[in-house]
Amino acid sequence: MSDTGSAVNDCHLRTVADLYSGHHGWLYARLYRKLGNALDAADLAHDTFIRILASKVAVIEEPRAYLSCVAGGILVNWFQRKALERAYLQALASLPEPEVPSPERRLLVLEALHEIDAMLDTLPTHVKRAFLLSQINGLKYDDIATQLGVSLITVKRYMKQAFLHCLTLVD
Amino acid sequence: MPSHDRHALDPSILDEAADWLMRLSEGSVSDSERQEWEHWRNSSPTHRQAWARAELLLSKLQGLPPALAMPSLDRPSHPGRRAAMGKLAALLALAPLTWGSWKLNDWQQWTADYRAPVGERRDLTLTDGTHVTLNTDTAIDVYFDDRQRLLLLRRGEILVQTAADPSPVARPFLVQTNEGRMQALGTRFSVREETGHTRLAVLEGAVRIQVKGIGEQVVQAGQRSGFSALGFDAPTPVDKSVLAWTQGMLMADNMRLADFVNELSRYRSGVLRCDPAIANLRISGAFPVNDSRRTLNMLAQTYPINVSSRLGDYWVMLAPA
Repeated sequence: MSDTGSAVNDCHLRTVADLYSGHHGWLYARLYRKLGNALDAADLAHDTFIRILASKVAVIEEPRAYLSCVAGGILVNWFQRKALERAYLQALASLPEPEVPSPERRLLVLEALHEIDAMLDTLPTHVKRAFLLSQINGLKYDDIATQLGVSLITVKRYMKQAFLHCLTLVD
Repeated sequence: MPSHDRHALDPSILDEAADWLMRLSEGSVSDSERQEWEHWRNSSPTHRQAWARAELLLSKLQGLPPALAMPSLDRPSHPGRRAAMGKLAALLALAPLTWGSWKLNDWQQWTADYRAPVGERRDLTLTDGTHVTLNTDTAIDVYFDDRQRLLLLRRGEILVQTAADPSPVARPFLVQTNEGRMQALGTRFSVREETGHTRLAVLEGAVRIQVKGIGEQVVQAGQRSGFSALGFDAPTPVDKSVLAWTQGMLMADNMRLADFVNELSRYRSGVLRCDPAIANLRISGAFPVNDSRRTLNMLAQTYPINVSSRLGDYWVMLAPA
């Protein structure tokens, strides 16, 4: 049993090693063209291989197509993270001085926001906004209905949809 | 479909959990709705698991500063990546979910002979005339036979006032907890079962504690002690706070806020947390336990504490004011 396991693992490591030596340079160049930043490109290429290592994939038929696909997913997360960070920094900058949290807390809040952001991202805009108005701003459903220009029933439907979505994803 | 993960939750139960979150989030929940919800939540281990996940979600949403969270999360979305994210979310949803260990003890309260629900106290008189008061969230089984009077404390806290045994041959009066056994020697005493530890306070007479493989300790009137499977605590004098619960009060004398919150939590269903930044704040006073909202308001008036709640007081967070 463990023999089979280690054989599979050997095969996986060989596959990833081949992939790395054959295509890392190509992936890096591609990411660099896309991002225009050597450090970010190196980071993302690195993350791509880390994810492939974790995947235990043993056979790769089309190495570059496969790499593009995995790197694409990582890039999506990365763009989302960057967008969140930008919005967060803007929000920080507009806070009155006494309300600005300590550097340590700033980072913790960002991490928490990142997690929620990823969870809510695929929700329709109105559903997401209703959910945020309720859970972050503490608005009543009636007020949310007024603000979004929809009925109370609709707000409740949005809220349930968002809660169900988050319950499915939260971990 | 991939093989069904045994930890995956029934979608219809998750759907119901989402429905409850939606209803409770609105804030104004009637007592009957709240009861209905508690009944739903306790109707099976799967329901409790689903609700544990709901609590995890709430904990992630809790305590975010709106001035930062709202503009960050409610930013205009980047076009063109929605479809890709949809695929990603679908993949994540199929990933196996891990669960924290959940309490097996929960079902035990239903098989107990007597039970006091959260936030309530019960007085009862046993067939031998012994008087027992059950504190909040307490479950006991009573086994009387011709050789002994045995009271099994499954969870919670009790005050026992033993009576002279009416049977021709005097039977010992015993209280058993997970950690050991106590024999009343004509007496009034209180016992509290905590996870892995039992606390005993003797008001009158004496109580003999026996712990398997460890030995015995006799605790005299006016003393309190504790024990676990590993041994006995050193006895200390009983103070007046130990029976405050029988009057529906929680007495705090220079008590850490974190400990106070744990104590108060025993008397209410739902989640009560305090920010680590104020965990060491010292609290003193007598507080009503059956009206936790009032107690929290009293705290907020006296100490630099800000009380925030959601889900109609189900989820309460104490933060620095």
